[in-house]
Amino acid sequence: MSRGNLLLASILWLVLIFFAIYPLSFLVFESFKIAGSNNFGIQNYIDFFKDTYYLKTFGNTLLLGLLVLLTATVFGLPLAYILARYRLKGKTLLTALILLPIVLPAYAGAFAFIVFFGKQGTLNLLLVELGLITKPINFIYGLHGLVFIQALHLLPFIVLSLSAGFTNIDPSLEEAAEVEGAGGFKRFLTVTLPLCTPNYLAGAVIVFLWPFTDWLTPLIFGQIDFLPSISYINIAYHFTDMYRKYMGIVSVVVSSVICIAMFLISKRWVESKKYTSLSKGTTLEGRIMAPGVFQRICAYSYMFFIAILVLLIPTVLGLSAFSRRWVLTPIPTYWTLDNFKLIFLESPALLKNSFVFSGVALIWGVAFGLPAAYLITRTKVRGKEALDFVITLMLAFPGIAVGVSYLLAFWEGIPLATLWIIMPLSLFVRRLPYFVRMAHASYLQLDVSLEEASEISGAGKLRTFMNISFPLLLKGVFVGIVMFFIMAFQEISTAIFLYRGGWETLPIGIFLNWHRGMEFGIAAAMAFFMIVIIFILLLIVSRIGGGIIGAAWGSSGGRY
Amino acid sequence: MAFIKIENLFKKFGKVAAVNHVWLEVKQGEILTLLGPSGCGKTTTLRCIAGLERPDEGDVIIDGKSMFSKGFVPPSKREIGMVFQNYAVWPHMRVFDNVAYGLKIQKLPKNVIKKKVTENLESLGLTGLEKRFPGQLSGGQQQRVALARALVGNPKVLLLDEPLSNLDAKLREKMRFEIKSLVRRMGITSVYVTHDQAEAMVISDRVSVMNAGDIVQVGTPEEIYKKPANRFVADFIGTTNFIPGEISELLKERQLAYVHTEFGQKMLCKMPESAMASTNNKVNISIRPEDIEVFTEPTQDRDNLFKGTIMHRAYLGNFLYFFVNVDSTMIRVQAPYDMTQKEGEELFLFLDPEKCVLLT
Repeated sequence: MSRGNLLLASILWLVLIFFAIYPLSFLVFESFKIAGSNNFGIQNYIDFFKDTYYLKTFGNTLLLGLLVLLTATVFGLPLAYILARYRLKGKTLLTALILLPIVLPAYAGAFAFIVFFGKQGTLNLLLVELGLITKPINFIYGLHGLVFIQALHLLPFIVLSLSAGFTNIDPSLEEAAEVEGAGGFKRFLTVTLPLCTPNYLAGAVIVFLWPFTDWLTPLIFGQIDFLPSISYINIAYHFTDMYRKYMGIVSVVVSSVICIAMFLISKRWVESKKYTSLSKGTTLEGRIMAPGVFQRICAYSYMFFIAILVLLIPTVLGLSAFSRRWVLTPIPTYWTLDNFKLIFLESPALLKNSFVFSGVALIWGVAFGLPAAYLITRTKVRGKEALDFVITLMLAFPGIAVGVSYLLAFWEGIPLATLWIIMPLSLFVRRLPYFVRMAHASYLQLDVSLEEASEISGAGKLRTFMNISFPLLLKGVFVGIVMFFIMAFQEISTAIFLYRGGWETLPIGIFLNWHRGMEFGIAAAMAFFMIVIIFILLLIVSRIGGGIIGAAWGSSGGRY
Repeated sequence: MAFIKIENLFKKFGKVAAVNHVWLEVKQGEILTLLGPSGCGKTTTLRCIAGLERPDEGDVIIDGKSMFSKGFVPPSKREIGMVFQNYAVWPHMRVFDNVAYGLKIQKLPKNVIKKKVTENLESLGLTGLEKRFPGQLSGGQQQRVALARALVGNPKVLLLDEPLSNLDAKLREKMRFEIKSLVRRMGITSVYVTHDQAEAMVISDRVSVMNAGDIVQVGTPEEIYKKPANRFVADFIGTTNFIPGEISELLKERQLAYVHTEFGQKMLCKMPESAMASTNNKVNISIRPEDIEVFTEPTQDRDNLFKGTIMHRAYLGNFLYFFVNVDSTMIRVQAPYDMTQKEGEELFLFLDPEKCVLLT
């Protein structure tokens, strides 16, 4: 074991301990604090589970998670099958559209759907105008709307994980079933689907846990009775009410515990069920077939339907962005560039902050992620499994947990929260596992012997990394960089707890403008502007050739 | 009686014809091997019999029923058993469920399924492993499960796609005989795909040699080895020497021919088939290393006795292998293991005219 590796590992551990483990433990400690004293106890938890309101909230969140998972699965299963097995013209483009929500912020979709599906929204107004209905239909306010919007946002995770499963199944396993007499649907149920469960579960856990993370979407829909939303309200607005503050903190801890437990259970399960295949001759294509006319029509209509829903998001936001006073008409009547003028003239700081914070977070992310991936894949340094484990675990922590823990730990504890650096720091910690995973995947694809050959030729470790590994990893790493930036750029759940006057980012600007109620046009313009930036970044990714969707998925999960 | 008939089968992938208008018959109860190098179309032919691949032209007839031309019969309706190269044992089902799968689809009563599966597992030496998952079995055991699954339903036809290629050499040899006796005993018409000529020789009643989408020769293992139809078969089955030359004289009454060889000497060979039998025809003389006799000094004046120099000598235990240079033509010879001649020394080779086969 080389000294250098040990030193590197120690530095990474220090960073992890100070910026992740310390604040998160601070949060847990805080949750055991008895209000108004310096004593510790489980009183807060007893209160939480005795309070019928919080119990109900807890139940609501679980229910929402299940419903979102169910909906996303029902809608995602056919899509995944089409994606993995049908040869269709234009499939790539439709797929890219369907999977777009994975890179769009959830709140952008929520705004768009309120405008389109709301009580006075475009669809209701059109239906009334056509005389099909007399009273507006409640399409989205309520649990069903929340399920709909979150399921659409999370659909890509189900589609990608299942289609990766469908693609990676050794074709002969299905052929054997065919020869044994199992036709179409029977074969699908007894062989294909069971073999996909490990892949499915990896995606399903992300979907199920989302309602424990997303506090903003319920708020936009006027609902607060979900754990993350009530945590946000309690902590952000009732900080002085000790009871509500501690209930908020306990909610965050409970959400985190559930997320981590579910994440670990599913991870264990997936690993124990990994089916290894002996097949040597499996084609990369798997079992792609040309569908019949009927199947083709169904597949296209279904894909178009979902694609249109997705396309509504940028379209509606675009319409709102270029107009003012859009009320009670199906489409805007007064077109203007005022919204953009306001953004650029009055609050250019938002843009600057967004770019600076995300950029700084990105630099740290790379500086941390590359060495971490190197240690995990290429060395035998002691404790690397633990390092990998802790980093992966960060994936499961809700953003709100990072935000609240930073607020507590770097405000009441070490006073770092008075410096702007806290903003990129929180972004960095929140998205830290993301870049490590990308680099990790690229490293796995890089043949060790290429590096060994360089060392045998006389190059040291560092030189080998600079001359051989880095250039070869560059493509994968670059895709990771852009995706990290996209994710950091739209991050709100951590930043919302930490920003002070002058530190507002674009997402916070969107939230504030929506929150003030009157300025929806500006919020929409900002969201639209953000989507445009994301689009440009995605184009860059696709030009590098990483494949947008592969990049979004972290390239280890799916082939697309 | 032909149980499987392959009629004018044609299948192309992209622009390449994988199977090029092939005709073939498999008799009831026989084991026929499709033998050839990778990419020769043997697996595609097998998959057409199974219905896993649809031919572009032609038909497969199993037990008098057309599989393609009168409407496609899907694999699930063909009553076949198949063993895949990678076994294709379902990793999420226990051994028992893997084997019972087809019977459950036929909706047989539970006790019948149990009885059949148990008997079947017993005959393959898998008793006691019913409750295991495939991941807990060795490669050889998985292979037996695959075989059990293919046989349990008493299929009309058994198809085997390189079933032994994932096993280690020792086990492979053992399984060859085991599969053969098992299939014999059950009397199932079988088509066996392999690229291993030794495996084909051991296992089959008849061998069908394929190359580049065509069937080159069909015959018993002995026919194929002794009377290869062309240079490809002679080269692919076993080891042989090719000596290029030109027919100079035909000795009709002795059924022999004189060939003027590359190294400038006349060689007496077996009379070729009529199509080839005319003077000035360019031919290749094929003679196997074990058919060449070796002498240390010139014996009586015989035809086809040539002097050469040993270039390489290899000791292989039960025999010696010499590379002998005869006027710059290199000839491989199998010699008795107790010969003491070394590299650089001289040898006399006798190439029995009866074993010198002329090929184009």
